[in-house]
This record gives sequence, structure tokens and C-alpha cells, in this order.
Amino acid sequence: MSTNAIIKTTNLSYQYSKGVQTLFDINLNVEKGSIYGFLGPNGSGKTTTLSLILGLLNKQKGDIEIFGQHLHANRVSILKKVGSLIETPSLYGHLTARENLEVYRQVYGASKERVEEVLGVVGLSDTGKKVAKKFSLGMKQRLSIALALLPNPELLILDEPSNGLDPAGIIELRELIKTLNKKYGMTILISSHLLGEVEKMVSHIGIIFKGKMLFQGQLSELHSFQRKGSKLLINTSDNEADIQLLEEYNPEREEDKLSVSYHDQKQVAAIQKTLYQNNLEVYLLHPKANDLEQLFIDLTSVQS
Amino acid sequence: MNVLISLRSEILKTKRTAALYFTLIGAAPIPAIFLLNVLTGGGDLTAIRKDPLNTIFELGAERNGLVFFPMFVILVCTLLPQIEYRNNTWKQVFASPQTKGAVFLAKFLNINLLILLFLVANLVFLSMAVVVMHFFNPALDLLGQPFNATRLVVLTANAYITMLALCTFQFWLGLRFRNFIILTAVGFALWFTGMIMALEFKSKLVDFFPYSFQVFPFMSSLQPKMTQVAWTSAGYAALFLLLGFLDFRSRKLTA
Repeated sequence: MSTNAIIKTTNLSYQYSKGVQTLFDINLNVEKGSIYGFLGPNGSGKTTTLSLILGLLNKQKGDIEIFGQHLHANRVSILKKVGSLIETPSLYGHLTARENLEVYRQVYGASKERVEEVLGVVGLSDTGKKVAKKFSLGMKQRLSIALALLPNPELLILDEPSNGLDPAGIIELRELIKTLNKKYGMTILISSHLLGEVEKMVSHIGIIFKGKMLFQGQLSELHSFQRKGSKLLINTSDNEADIQLLEEYNPEREEDKLSVSYHDQKQVAAIQKTLYQNNLEVYLLHPKANDLEQLFIDLTSVQS
Repeated sequence: MNVLISLRSEILKTKRTAALYFTLIGAAPIPAIFLLNVLTGGGDLTAIRKDPLNTIFELGAERNGLVFFPMFVILVCTLLPQIEYRNNTWKQVFASPQTKGAVFLAKFLNINLLILLFLVANLVFLSMAVVVMHFFNPALDLLGQPFNATRLVVLTANAYITMLALCTFQFWLGLRFRNFIILTAVGFALWFTGMIMALEFKSKLVDFFPYSFQVFPFMSSLQPKMTQVAWTSAGYAALFLLLGFLDFRSRKLTA
């Protein structure tokens, strides 16, 4: 376990009602300066985990340390350095953007200048007297991010921040998150149910499914995991003969085709050569789609 | 200090809400009706012949204390906590660096500030009505009359303290449940019950029923028990606040 951890949970478990376990021994480790993508399908336990980390739910079993301090004993001092957005925007519809930030300004000990600064960062400086309930969903989401940025946090926790955003909004959000991480050194924990949405910005990934962590590590580790699992689909004039010829590639039947494992392009060429040299007519030689999204689906569907 | 910061936050949330408008508007009807009644030669003109200035304030406090004030307290105690439910902001409140105790206390203090604002606004509107009455009916010479400020302060303080038990119970309900209409209906039903128990049934149970306490400062047969009821109301308030806080502290914010 890294000593550089900003968030460290140890065997975190939770149940909403007796007999219905939602989380099982979650060991989350978010390193300082990282953008950690917390992934899982809807209902997998992401929001419950984040709610526990923010103290919105009372811990039942396990331990939570943030900035090296136990959350339960230091909740208020920890939360002073944490910005958060949990699911839907939490805004007062009858107040303007500035007034919404003013509600929390002194709670976080932020200056008046900081209010203008964060409004500028999210591009809402010119909303004037327009009240939040008249904002578009994208504007509400940006105002919620401004609220999360108000304390100039060391740690930013964003739960499904792109919910309801259009593609342009999602790209904008991605760029903003990268900037906050690079320019201001913020550690960011972002949850999503779409791998494709976060893989372009995260440095680390954790995958949760049915309350259990399936994978945790750097994005590069997930890529290497992905390469190890690459498959090639083959269909020739004699698939039974293929099984014997390609035994070293662990062939498996897939309907009327075969699938074999490979690690790099040279192996694909070697397979093709073997088939050709044995006078087999090749109808199909196709790398099976195995991007991270596919890997995510595979990882989560294997467990279901 | 933390509570003061949380209180500031709560006051800011009240801006442009129905609760704030209701505080100012709700304090106006009794002075307005009083004024119209006097100007149109209604029954009040006879009632205030003797010691007119003090009688106006006493009658104003009584009518307000029996009807509009309890209505206002029930509504505001239920409306204010609804700000968080209506805007889906409870999670943001609890994810901010405030203790639950500070949030709870700040919300309660904010409600009490509105209640005090209501009482002050009522006195201000009544004073304005007095000035208008003075010029429209110079024979009353209202501005030249002796004024018993102590009596008015005692009446107002009694109205406030007898309302504390009701206020804390409605506040607890407002924090606990999301459905504003049911909470208001429960409040009004209990208030009607309390009034009927005191005015019609002359029940001895009114000494212990928080929704009857508002009658004590204004009903001569009950006035001797005013001090006892004031303490009972304060005791209930402390109990409901404690229970409300324990409930609030243990609340689970489901995802």
C-alpha cells in the first residue's frame, strides 16, 4: 500500500438493511496527484462508497483514512479540504450562482475573490441575477463544480459529474478536470459507469461490481491486462484442423468460429502463415474488439 | 463560532423564499383589519374607548397570538427545513465542513429569528395603524395617550415562550419528513384540537398539550397558570430539541 495515499479505505463494508450487503471489503487507494476513475455499472456501490468517504453515511465496518487522518475523528477538518459533487447538482433554485456560492463561502473559509475566481473557472461569471432553477442542466452542473472548487480543495470527489451533459459539455468537463489536476495539483476521484468517458483523463482506475473491487491500479496496468486478453477470431475451411495446428494459442470454439489468444501483431502474422502453409482456406481472421470498454464489460459480466 | 457561520449560511438560504415573505405578510392582517375596523366605525371603536392606545396593542397581541401567530409558526417551522428537501441539497450540507450539531442548531435559530421578526413586524404594523388611526380619528388622541411598554413586552414574550413547544415539535417533523402538506395538515389539526380543548371543552389537559399553550396569555381563566405553562413549554422544547437532534444525527442519506 502506498504511503502517498490521499484516500485509503480498509475492508470497507456496508449494508443498507440487514442481510442486504452493498459493499464487501473495499480497499480503495487514491494516490496524491492522481485522477482516479472509479468505475462500475449502475447500482454497483460507487455512490455508497463515495457517500461513506464523505461521511454522508455512517461507517459500519472497515476504516477510512483521508489525508492520513481517520475520517470519523477528523470529519470537519478533512472536509474543509475536500470539494464534492454527489450525483445530481445540489443547488438552491431560488438563489443566483453567486448567492449559492455565498451560502458556503464562510463555511469553507473562502474569500469573496475566490467566489469570482471559481465562477470564472466554470464560465458562469456573467449569469447576473438569473436564479439557479432557470439554468440549463449543463450550467447547473458547472455551478456545482464551482461549489466543489470553492475551498480550493486538495481532493475533489465527483460522482457521475457528466450525467445529463451533452457531448460538448462532457469534453469541456474533461478538459477542466485535467487542468485542475495539472495546474492546481488537485487529486481527483471521479466515478462513472462509462469507461470510455473517463479513460481519456484518468491516471488510475478502480472497477467495482456488485460491491466488490474487481481491479485497481494504474491505467497502464489495465491496458496491459487488456493486451493479455486479446483474442483473434478465425474461420477456415476446416476449423477442427485449426484447433490442432494452433494448440499453443489456446483455441476455443465460438459458434462456427474459433477464437485464439494473442499478445502482439507478429503472432497474428504467424497464425496466418501456419494456416496458409497447411492449405487451409481462410475466410475470417479478425482481431476481436477488445478495447477497454469491452474489457470492462468482460470483467463485470464474468462476475455476474 | 461554528454555529454562527452555519447560521449565516441558513439566513442566506432564506433569501427570496416563501418563508421570508410569509413572515412579513403574515404579520400584517391583524393590524390591517384593526385599522379598517376602526376607520369604518366597527365594534373595536367601542372596545378601545377606555385607555385606547394600550387596548389596541393588547387586542392586537391577543388576536395575533390566538390565530395568525400559531398558523405562522406551524408553517414556517415546516417550510424552512423543506428548503433542503425541495432543492435536493441535504447531501451538500452534510458533505460540507459543518458538524451536524451546528447545522441543526443554526436551522433552529434561523426559524426563531423569523418568529421574532414576525412578532416585531406585527408591532411595527400595529404602530403604523395607530398613527393612521390618530389622524383619521383625532378624538381618540392616540399619540397623546399613556403607553404601557412593559405590559406589551410581557405579552409578546409570553406569546413567544408558549409557542416554543409547538415550534420545536413542528421543526422536528419538518426535518424528519419530506411531505410538507401532511406536516402542515398535522400541525393545523393539532392546533384546532388545542384551541377547542381550551375554548370549548375547558379541558384540564390543556396544561400539558403544547398546541393549547398559546391561549394561556390571553384567556383570563388560564392566566394564573401562565408561569407554569411557560416552564412546561420550555421543558417540552428542550425535550423535542434533544429528540429531534438525536434523530437528525442518526439520519441516513440514501444514495
